[in-house]
Amino acid sequence: MQPKEIESVHRRYLQLEKRMSFSVFSTQLFLFLVFLGLWELLARTNTINALIFSYPSKIWAQFWLQLQDGSLLPHVGLTVWETIIGFLLGTILGTVMATIIWWSPFLSRVLEPYLVIANSMPKVALGPVFIVGFGPGLLSVIAMGCAISVIITTINVYTSFKEVNQNYVKVVQTLGGSKRQIFTLVILPATIPTLLATLKVNVGLSWVGVIVGEFLVSQQGLGYLIIYGFQVFNFTLVMMSLAIIAVIATLMYQGVAYIERRLTSQFK
Amino acid sequence: MKQISSTPAKIELGHVTHLYLSTTRAFMAVQDINLRVEEGDFICLVGPSGCGKTTLLSLIAGLEKPTAGKVWIDGREVSGTSRQVGYMLQQDYLFNWRSIEDNVFLGLDIQGIRSKETEEYALHLLDEMELSDVRKSSPLQLSGGMRQRVALVRTLACQPDVLLLDEPFSALDYQTKLKLEDLIFSTLRRHKKTAVLVTHDLSESIAMGDRVYIFSRNPGRINSEIVVPNPIRDALPFDARNHDGFQDLFHRVWKEMEVVSDAAKGN
Repeated sequence: MQPKEIESVHRRYLQLEKRMSFSVFSTQLFLFLVFLGLWELLARTNTINALIFSYPSKIWAQFWLQLQDGSLLPHVGLTVWETIIGFLLGTILGTVMATIIWWSPFLSRVLEPYLVIANSMPKVALGPVFIVGFGPGLLSVIAMGCAISVIITTINVYTSFKEVNQNYVKVVQTLGGSKRQIFTLVILPATIPTLLATLKVNVGLSWVGVIVGEFLVSQQGLGYLIIYGFQVFNFTLVMMSLAIIAVIATLMYQGVAYIERRLTSQFK
Repeated sequence: MKQISSTPAKIELGHVTHLYLSTTRAFMAVQDINLRVEEGDFICLVGPSGCGKTTLLSLIAGLEKPTAGKVWIDGREVSGTSRQVGYMLQQDYLFNWRSIEDNVFLGLDIQGIRSKETEEYALHLLDEMELSDVRKSSPLQLSGGMRQRVALVRTLACQPDVLLLDEPFSALDYQTKLKLEDLIFSTLRRHKKTAVLVTHDLSESIAMGDRVYIFSRNPGRINSEIVVPNPIRDALPFDARNHDGFQDLFHRVWKEMEVVSDAAKGN
């Protein structure tokens, strides 16, 4: 085969690939528009209850109004802030706990049943305890955002620490490495892909924790808006908050996924 | 004779027995092993799988403490891993998150002896193995043979006197294996290292070793010792295979292995 032929075959392949991506994207966009259109149509013709389901143009109007009068951004800002803090705390505390457990086989055996119990327990049930402990405010919400991810992080990270191929550990040992060096030179770098995958899960979990936390205590935030909208029976407000959460949560997830791709490229 | 045994050997094992303990049983991996390896010797351990060859390497390396008996290096009892002993595993186990250069410097980092001189020595070894142009590459870009050569440099960079080789060629294709045998053989000779090679390949053990120890299993013990005569011993492993006496020697080792595996079956 001539280089020219190879090039033209490759070019054809690239074209097909491009066309495929375009078809996928346009179908996705189409489905979304159909969904919005149907929703609007059914609500306006009163086929579905417009009071409960609201409809897109009304939600957009509400969003625009609140954005302009400045009453929306403080809610969004606070919730995002709480989520990030809860997410970071949950991840860091979980990793630190996993490290301590990895360090001491005795402690890992002692703590194992407690971790299992803590993991199977629905963390949001701790809400009242947090409110009493941390007061009805920001701290309780963050505690919830953190609590919901910390145990599962501990378990996942500890499992991945244990799954590191023992021969890598042996390499460091035969070179005279201490336990600390085994951790920093092998265990930690080898589990970076798992750590980052855990981060992605934790973003979603922290959103759950923070929104539930805001349901329970707060005077501000997207969770508060949802509960408030529910209480005054303004479902346009509820739907708007849901849409905002969906968009921001997706952005945060993509942000972490981007970091993951950047940091793990050398592992593949 | 008396004089030789009174000076400490490079490696000496005295009545070494090792048990692996679990809640369900106590497994005797090796029993009453006595072994003397003089400085600069290259010895090979062969035997059926599960005969405790790798256990013996772990004991010499100080990764494990023998249940009974003692291991000495230069007359000092082994109580943990030491800079003196280098260990090569079946696979290279290079760290993919470090460049080739940083993999080679790993031992220097761990032992806190990374300096201009030690780095230069490591890079010189890398050059000897014809790996200079990949020093900035990732291990993922290298072939199996190249990776195992990097692993050798990583081990040698810490300047150990004793090298323990645990089937370092078993994961390679045949051609690469033969080339690497020659390379490791001549490198160890040139740097006057003492080496213990564990292998499944009988012809490899004869081609590389000065002496071949055949192990029996359940429990692992030394069944017999075969001394490789001079022309074969000094030749490069590749050439050694073509020597006149090589086939006879191979048959002797083969017979001993038959005895050992028959005995194991009898049990």
